[in-house]
Amino acid sequence: MSQPGVVFPRTGPGIMSDDGDALTFCSTCAFSQACLSEGMDKSALMDLHVLVEHVGPLHPGEHVFREGDSFTAIAAVRAGTVKTYQIDRNGHEQVLGFHLPGEVIGLNAIHGDRYPCNAVALDTVMLCRFSFPKIATLAQRLPNLQQHLFRLMSRDIGVASLFARDNSADERMAAFLIGLSRRLAARGFSPRRFQLTMSRTDIANYLRQAPETVSRVLRRFEKDGLLHIKQRDVEILDLPRLEELALAVLRD
Amino acid sequence: MASLSALFDPELLQRYDVPGPRYTSYPTAPQFTPGFGEADLRRVAAASNGDPIPRPISLYLHIPFCTSPCFYCGCNRIISRDKARGAAYLTRLYREIAMASTMFDRDRDVEQVHFGGGTPNFLDPAQIAEVIDVLRSHFRFAPGERMDCSIELDPRFITPEEVGELARAGFNRASLGVQDFDPAVQQAVNRVQGVEQTLGIIDACRRHGFRSVNVDLIYGLPKQTLEGFERTLDTTLQVRPDRLAIYGYAHLPQLFRPQQRIHAEDLPSPEQKLDLLRLAIDKLGQAGYEYIGMDHFALPEDELARAQREGGLHRNFMGYTTHAESDLLGLGVSAISHIGASFSQNPRDIVSWEQAIDDGRLPVWRGMHLDADDVIRADVIQSLMCHGELDFDAVGRRHVIDFRDYFRDALARLAPLQKDGLVEVDAGGLHATSRGRLLLRIIAMCFDRYLAPAADPAAPRYSRTV
Repeated sequence: MSQPGVVFPRTGPGIMSDDGDALTFCSTCAFSQACLSEGMDKSALMDLHVLVEHVGPLHPGEHVFREGDSFTAIAAVRAGTVKTYQIDRNGHEQVLGFHLPGEVIGLNAIHGDRYPCNAVALDTVMLCRFSFPKIATLAQRLPNLQQHLFRLMSRDIGVASLFARDNSADERMAAFLIGLSRRLAARGFSPRRFQLTMSRTDIANYLRQAPETVSRVLRRFEKDGLLHIKQRDVEILDLPRLEELALAVLRD
Repeated sequence: MASLSALFDPELLQRYDVPGPRYTSYPTAPQFTPGFGEADLRRVAAASNGDPIPRPISLYLHIPFCTSPCFYCGCNRIISRDKARGAAYLTRLYREIAMASTMFDRDRDVEQVHFGGGTPNFLDPAQIAEVIDVLRSHFRFAPGERMDCSIELDPRFITPEEVGELARAGFNRASLGVQDFDPAVQQAVNRVQGVEQTLGIIDACRRHGFRSVNVDLIYGLPKQTLEGFERTLDTTLQVRPDRLAIYGYAHLPQLFRPQQRIHAEDLPSPEQKLDLLRLAIDKLGQAGYEYIGMDHFALPEDELARAQREGGLHRNFMGYTTHAESDLLGLGVSAISHIGASFSQNPRDIVSWEQAIDDGRLPVWRGMHLDADDVIRADVIQSLMCHGELDFDAVGRRHVIDFRDYFRDALARLAPLQKDGLVEVDAGGLHATSRGRLLLRIIAMCFDRYLAPAADPAAPRYSRTV
């Protein structure tokens, strides 16, 4: 894990070079909890480890996979942000989500044999790639791993449906920021200060708003003392009030 | 604030009279490289639209023409009496405006427009108004009260009626070149300019509702005397310009060819130059002006002075400004842009600039991407140049660094300046002393990563400090 309070996406020098070893997973790995906390034995850990392939660094704009590529692997983000998106019939981009360190991409390809979306690096991205057929086989032997996979999958579905409901622009923005804050905090980053690694257009697209609305809402949040923004850097000043506003969307 | 005369310490000014950057940018222009091209500019502009709240836009327009050469000038300009050149230049400038404007999202407000030169009023007021119209058709201008529209004027080539036309076009600030009213000095620098004529233009700016008028004076010019400069100061202060810039003339004939026509033997000695500066500072202090920084003074009720008291002063290529950070787009030959964490500059020679535009390319000559260290140092230097002080914790928080640790080398370089009483450093921060404020750039230089510790004074790239 990163040092508590580190401002995303800044990482300590350790993280990029932290490749783990046979018994220790890298600090940001989505699977680290699956094995460490749930007592896999050494041979299981080693079995899991040989499946891991380190990928990167990918540069901004480089694709991890494209829609229609044949599905062979899921990947966990170790550093940076990956955006997933589809192109609709009219050629318009639809942003599906933003994947932060510790989160897994490619899960929505499991039911088919091709990736149903594109995944692109928004900044400098490092990944761990797992061969899916192999991890599925291993999961049959390791109930903990299977459980973890299911958990990751259900979380992915939950994130995708966040903004499907009918909420105000303010509520959706608050939910978006609170969501980022919680996910980053879970990985040991500061929950109050982080960088928006995605562009205004991407945020607008994801929240189904106009880019001008994104700016207008954030300007209002700033005026109300909820947060402070300088270029891409966000500092949440009043977390309780922002959480209250987000409640209509997040409901937990 | 202490009286202005506390600024003046001749011994210190002399000791620290070394070449140094003026920090209208950090890193400074000599760090720009041709490796930065049009594609880079387009990328940084696209990224600037991606900020959650994109910054407002400032526009700088360079009009390079002058009707006659002033010998002291170190600007990039073209001497011509041919008005057709202005019209031809505008045709291309409009194409550049059209091309460059498409890089920016249309919901971004333009809050600042500045015409510099050369002599912007080489163009007639109808042409200048047309440029504003073209800008308005490609950009969204902020409402009038937030909009700063300024122009550098040569009072010799504009009438009071024409000032009215500029006001109607939207201009609300002007900066007038005066330098010195002494006829002997005016002869020696080839800029003969009547007192009545000049004061008439200042008066016209006021009558037409300009928010501020700045007057530029220069000390250290050939044939300049204390008596003559005192008369110039008295005449100027009678009309109380909102802002005054008192520049020191830097004689660098090997760098600026027009200066070769100034006779070195006519120049005041370093001691006389200091006396001229002392005179100006005393006079401005008596007249109630406040020192803003570098060469700039303002009346206490002027926006710049107010912004400085409230911590809201900024500095960019156009000098000091009250506008929070904006993305600056420079248009025209030699113009510099500052977009996101980048600088870029158009070609300084007009032929290359014309060629690029005729080819349908954005005319980028050189530039640079700022790295994380550049961004931190730029913030530190900006804070010094605008407010003469640094709050270590505030800088540390902004950039997630431990200031004292990060800047251990810079703080060590400050030690002799501390000993000489230019700057006071304590656990929480540092501030320039009264005596140090005229030497802000010497303090800032300690934080400049690109300055070789021992610059070769024989080959100055920068003008001297005073």
